[in-house]
Amino acid sequence: MEAGNPLLDDYVLSLTGRERPRVCFLPTASGDADHYVVRFYRQFATRCDASHVSLFRRDREGVESHFAEHLLAQDLIYVGGGNLVSLLGTWRAHGLHSVLRRAWRQGVVLCGPSAGSLCWFAEALTAFHAAPHRVTGLGLLPYSNCVHYDAEPQRREEYRRFVGDGMRPGYAADDGAALHFRGKDLARAVSSRPHAQAYRVEPIDDEVAEVPLDVEYLGARIAEPAAA
Amino acid sequence: MSPRPVVAEERRTILTLGGGGFTMEPDNPALDELVLALTDAREPNVLFLPTASGDPAGQINAFRARFGGRACIAEHLSLFHLHGSVRTLEEIVLDQDVIYAGGGSMRNLLAIWRAHGLDELLVEAWRRGTVLAGISAGAMCWFEGGVTKSSGPPEPIEGFGLLPGSLSVHADGEPERLPVWLACVREGVLPGGWAADDGVGLVFRGRQLKGAFSSRPGAAALRADAVDGELVRQRIEPELLGARPTGTGPPSDDIVELRQVQRLRQSRL
Repeated sequence: MEAGNPLLDDYVLSLTGRERPRVCFLPTASGDADHYVVRFYRQFATRCDASHVSLFRRDREGVESHFAEHLLAQDLIYVGGGNLVSLLGTWRAHGLHSVLRRAWRQGVVLCGPSAGSLCWFAEALTAFHAAPHRVTGLGLLPYSNCVHYDAEPQRREEYRRFVGDGMRPGYAADDGAALHFRGKDLARAVSSRPHAQAYRVEPIDDEVAEVPLDVEYLGARIAEPAAA
Repeated sequence: MSPRPVVAEERRTILTLGGGGFTMEPDNPALDELVLALTDAREPNVLFLPTASGDPAGQINAFRARFGGRACIAEHLSLFHLHGSVRTLEEIVLDQDVIYAGGGSMRNLLAIWRAHGLDELLVEAWRRGTVLAGISAGAMCWFEGGVTKSSGPPEPIEGFGLLPGSLSVHADGEPERLPVWLACVREGVLPGGWAADDGVGLVFRGRQLKGAFSSRPGAAALRADAVDGELVRQRIEPELLGARPTGTGPPSDDIVELRQVQRLRQSRL
């Protein structure tokens, strides 16, 4: 849901293999912020069967009364960004952990930016009040994850330090870069911005190495015509 | 910042609102003024926690509108949006005179506070004399239990247990809650306790109820207990607070003086 740039949204929709996929938005990490929900519908409602589940307004007349069943019937579950710790706490309180794991096993595509990326991993680095710290995620992907790698230099530094101190190896992504996993394996790295990078971060010979991944820019054919 | 000393139990204060205050009564500041009156600090630090509703801008704006012009330093703590704050949660929470929890989903409030370790910090703040206040979910959370609509229909839920018994809120405004609460108390699912109408605030010192106040004529609270499987009910008549519409008339001399002091301090920084 980048402003004016649908490349990553187009990409994730294509993964469903559906003409008109069922897409459900989980804006939990933002506290179900209205503006975010509106942005989701603007972006997705014309080409998908779009819905959202609010865990703050389960008393509203909506899919909330049968949200587990609803989520399991989706082609794509899109988790919005925000605060990772609040996201995981709220999900746990409503039993989302097991529902999302089931959805994943059943082949529902799971995606999300920022906290919506971190949540799927075994461990993640989150930055909030004061210094960044380690958080245990859902663990569908047995790695660690760090986001906004280019945008927030302190995170990059801290993430490398944590991996050096025993956090499990993992993946870091710049803004605009996306990691596509099939099962537990990284299948592809793609981007909506020409120079966005992603890295495998792991200790090699007592050093924390950042191994750049081959990131495919999704807009290449349109935005960067061959130089004359 | 040096830690504040632990205070005697009877000086630990909690104000629980069945409804009302700045999020529900934009034209009636009586209960919010009561919140400020409960602290000894002349220019209290007041922290609003809008967690139970996911930190919505509307609640935060209403908080600023209500407390911004009063003799206090009003801030809110978001657990969803980045502040860029360099202070830890502990530094923020333990530096408050009043902490005011908003309404919304009690299940989410408990889960999110626990995930951030805020529950323990709030207990610590209470032990050190910070006045805890709250409305609806933000009121019931301090008790052993309450009745929540966090999952849709009203159902019993466990709270932090700083206050003995249970609380049900919006007794008049959301009539579907009360029968669920009474049934839970009768069956022993919830301990006996109080049901408060919108506009009613209960003041606890330590673990004892010390006063009931109201911002609206006719609003009341109910005490209910199960005795030998039967409900024993008692109506509690609150003291009606002198409600005065916001923004009318000049501020009191005290407030004018405090503002001058505030300005002086700021100019010296």
